[in-house]
Amino acid sequence: MADGTVSMERHKIVQSRIQYGMFVLLLCALIVFAACFSVSIGAVDIDPASIFKIITNRAFGKALFARGWEDRTETIIWSIRFPRVIMAFIVGAGLSVCGVLMQALTKNALADPYVLGISSGASTGAVCAIILGWFRFMGGYATIFGATLGAALSILLSMGIASARGRIASSQLVLAGIATSALFSALTNLVIYGCHTGSDKTKTAQYWMIGSLSGADWGTAGYVAVVFAAAIGIVLLFVRDMDVLLLGDDVAESLGVDTGRIKRVIILMATVLTGVVVSVSGVIGFIGLVVPHIVRAVVGSKHIRLLPAAILVGGLSTMLADVVSRVVMAPEELPIGIVSALMGAPFFLYLIKTERDG
Amino acid sequence: MRLQVEALDHRMGGRQILDKVSLAVEDGGFIGLIGPNGCGKTTLLKNICKAYKPRRDVVFIGGKDVMTLSAREMAKEVAVMAQENPVGFDVEVIDMVMFGRYPHRRFLEGEKKEDVRLCRHFIQKVGLDGYEHRSYLSLSGGEKQRVLLARALVQESKLIVLDEPTNHLDVRFQYQLMQTLKEQEITVFASIHDLNLAAMYCDKVIWMDKGRIIKIGTPEEAITENDIAEIFKVRSQVTVNPITGKTQIYYLPDAV
Repeated sequence: MADGTVSMERHKIVQSRIQYGMFVLLLCALIVFAACFSVSIGAVDIDPASIFKIITNRAFGKALFARGWEDRTETIIWSIRFPRVIMAFIVGAGLSVCGVLMQALTKNALADPYVLGISSGASTGAVCAIILGWFRFMGGYATIFGATLGAALSILLSMGIASARGRIASSQLVLAGIATSALFSALTNLVIYGCHTGSDKTKTAQYWMIGSLSGADWGTAGYVAVVFAAAIGIVLLFVRDMDVLLLGDDVAESLGVDTGRIKRVIILMATVLTGVVVSVSGVIGFIGLVVPHIVRAVVGSKHIRLLPAAILVGGLSTMLADVVSRVVMAPEELPIGIVSALMGAPFFLYLIKTERDG
Repeated sequence: MRLQVEALDHRMGGRQILDKVSLAVEDGGFIGLIGPNGCGKTTLLKNICKAYKPRRDVVFIGGKDVMTLSAREMAKEVAVMAQENPVGFDVEVIDMVMFGRYPHRRFLEGEKKEDVRLCRHFIQKVGLDGYEHRSYLSLSGGEKQRVLLARALVQESKLIVLDEPTNHLDVRFQYQLMQTLKEQEITVFASIHDLNLAAMYCDKVIWMDKGRIIKIGTPEEAITENDIAEIFKVRSQVTVNPITGKTQIYYLPDAV
């Protein structure tokens, strides 16, 4: 494009309300299927029937099926594998929503929390909380608080560098992201290398840099789910404003949109979501870039359709990436960030290339 | 008074773009803003629709200072058709036009039947019948321009401000667009490049040169051979067309 922004000109595939409903139903079915598959994979073989019975029993809080399995099996399924599947879904969905939000804010399809360096900022905050023991006054929420604060700082920096009037050109956006991400990654490493006490803490910190779901348990999955649901609820109130905002700030303003308010909402929600997601999974790249791009091609750019579909596709694809990360080098586990980067980075290059050619 | 501007100044990069511009536009008029490139037409229009921020008590629309109006109140008062701006994300034509109904919606309110009817009505008015579900980005420059006009009309404000609306349009659609505007019961304030087009449709024209307003009047009064010679440095012949009864300008450059 001549104006230096990446666009999606292909016309959407899903048109009518019924088609959209079928698409969502199909996604839900795939998610259930992927969840069952994901739970069945691991060092200990457990037959699918038992998995189904254990989850049903636990989900309804009573013994609907007679127990025919060991306690250990139930622990593996319910306390280790299942929360991880839930976490994969929320992390993927959260990153995809952040991508959609950042794209509405910048009117540029290359924007996502990873590219803009916001995830790096969040991980710096998380590492400061864990290794340096900052934000102790927040108690058990110190990490999530640090991550959100880091996300807030980096989003201000990144958007500050990238913003010209209204529209943000791809080159500015990518450069702002590189600078922001380099700065915060350096800070993260500085904290890690500057802090010699305990190699365990350093290992933990390194895990933030690559991104991993191995820390998932019900406790973290619970609060992440609550924050995620609240943020989505708020974002859905502003879908119409976001539609108009895509036309550019000046045009949106002349059509009656309070662009200042909607931008504050977007920045706040993207910050909180990125902070929370990164605080439990580290920096997982490219999901927020790839998923919205694919979903836009299928359902179009109207946010009332785009957001729910992005949540489902983001969740599903991250669950699948998690399966891949556990299978390829079994019994060793690959951090999911490596899998997402291997799939996402070429896509990122493709987007930049189509911009130059188009 | 629909639109009033009092001593509007605008400086950019140390240059005086607008120099104490004052004007008043009455309800229902079709006003053309004419003048050479870089004379400040676009800057004036941008100040009126708040794309640039004028000082308080300078620009009034419907008697209200624009700087006291919220974006939504402003959008109900004035519709803007700017020169085409690039859009990075695709939407259908009907959705693009529907964005014009945004200021009339309450928080969380959906599309009403009336909104859809209005959108279809104006899509038809601009000659894009059957284009409702076409992708906006797949349209030609002229078609996009007409979609944007439909969007501005759907806004149902009393004043519409246009910056060279006939750019990109072939002869047929230039006249169709002006005709469509003329038929609406709204005040039109438009910068227009083509003096013949301005003379044909405008009730009044405002001449601008070097950031100042130099003349306001009906096309017959305000567009003269002297003005064209002075401002555009082009020799011309101004007559009354016997068929339309409107002012007609022929340009007579020296080289010919």
